[in-house]
Amino acid sequence: MKMEEMSLSGLDNSKLEAIAHEIYTDLVEDACLGLCFEVHRAVKCGYFFLDDTDPDSMKDFEIVDQPGVDIFGQVYNQWKNKECVCPNCSRSIAASRFAPHLEKCLGMGRNSSRIANRRIASSNNMNKSESDQEDNDDINDNDWFYGSEKKAKKRKSDKNPNSPRRSKSLKHKNGELSSNSDPFKYSNSTGINYETLGPEELRTLLTTQCGVISEHTKKMCTRSLRCPQHTDEQRRTVRVYFLGPSAPLPEAEGSVENDSFDVAESQALMSRLQWDGSSDLSPSDSASSKTSENGWGVGTNNSESRKTKKKKPHLSLVGAAPGLSSNKKKKPKPPAPPTPSIYDDIN
Amino acid sequence: IKETHNNHMNRDAQMKAILHQKLIETGERERLQERIRAKFLECGWKDQLQAHCRAVIQEKGVEQVNVDTLVAELTPKARALVPDSFKEELLQRVRTFLAQQVRP
Repeated sequence: MKMEEMSLSGLDNSKLEAIAHEIYTDLVEDACLGLCFEVHRAVKCGYFFLDDTDPDSMKDFEIVDQPGVDIFGQVYNQWKNKECVCPNCSRSIAASRFAPHLEKCLGMGRNSSRIANRRIASSNNMNKSESDQEDNDDINDNDWFYGSEKKAKKRKSDKNPNSPRRSKSLKHKNGELSSNSDPFKYSNSTGINYETLGPEELRTLLTTQCGVISEHTKKMCTRSLRCPQHTDEQRRTVRVYFLGPSAPLPEAEGSVENDSFDVAESQALMSRLQWDGSSDLSPSDSASSKTSENGWGVGTNNSESRKTKKKKPHLSLVGAAPGLSSNKKKKPKPPAPPTPSIYDDIN
Repeated sequence: IKETHNNHMNRDAQMKAILHQKLIETGERERLQERIRAKFLECGWKDQLQAHCRAVIQEKGVEQVNVDTLVAELTPKARALVPDSFKEELLQRVRTFLAQQVRP
């Protein structure tokens, strides 16, 4: 490379400049030649003049550059405030909501069949479980234990209790139901999306849950009996409303009486264990007095059990469990009480 | 011994040849070509030239078109249409390259 270096260094700047220009010209001419080949091929293959249009069409499709209008000349929200009349239900629907409405209205389209199937499935589940409970007397004995189970079960079986769709279908059903049967007992659904509430279930629910009906959703509160959002007065009102003036009131008296119930409770539980499997008390017998007492007992039991579940085995939840385990899968019936014994002790 | 004019010319020619060779070998020519292609497309050089082609071809008739006539017609226009700033950019790059070759 030594030779090369010597020869290159012999070049002065003007010569280098000339060479630079030469190189530049070469490059530009190369580019031009490339274009010539391209054009020549296009002409010979016949596609060079393909996209020529007559002047009239050119004017028609010219790019529009006005305010409020896109380049095609279309207005943006032209159909925003237009309304269409649905041919199916004859309602006036906003244009942008028309397509989804039609889908639901006609019952065609992907989503509407999916929702319909889901509704059928869930209603089947509930109908099926209700009929099971009526047949099986054994479940009657396992009242408050089942109360919590029932709640948990119902919660799991729901797909999404909080979705807006859920409340939509609920409202729709509520409207239908209230026209059919007793509106007071059946029209209010719980937060867990019950469709129909039998009187028994209602009572059970009220013994385990707060139950206060929310003003805006018209649903019963599903929180515990001590839920901070509602007062005891509200709970009392709801129970009176549903179950009559003799309704049991949760935690009406406070903690004092709970202590005195300990002995009585354990006795009651013992007697209940003996009766396990043979229930001569069906929920239909003297319903109000029994369930009211039971509700009372269950109410306290529940609160106790929730407080002390881990600590006090003498409440014999565990003891009662084996008898109940076979029935766990079925939705629990309203509690069938061997409770007269409790009140015997008190009175 | 005094070098004759011819010797000078030969040496210059030699040097030029070497430089051109270097340009290709290092890949610098390729890079420059890419840069030119991109620039010509984005600044509209290609479109303008194509429009000129259209005019020329329609004037001469489609059948008379051949590469040589096209080149003859287009080259002057092509050179004229290069943006000045870009011409300067290219020249600068080439000068830099040459300087590197002369004194690495």
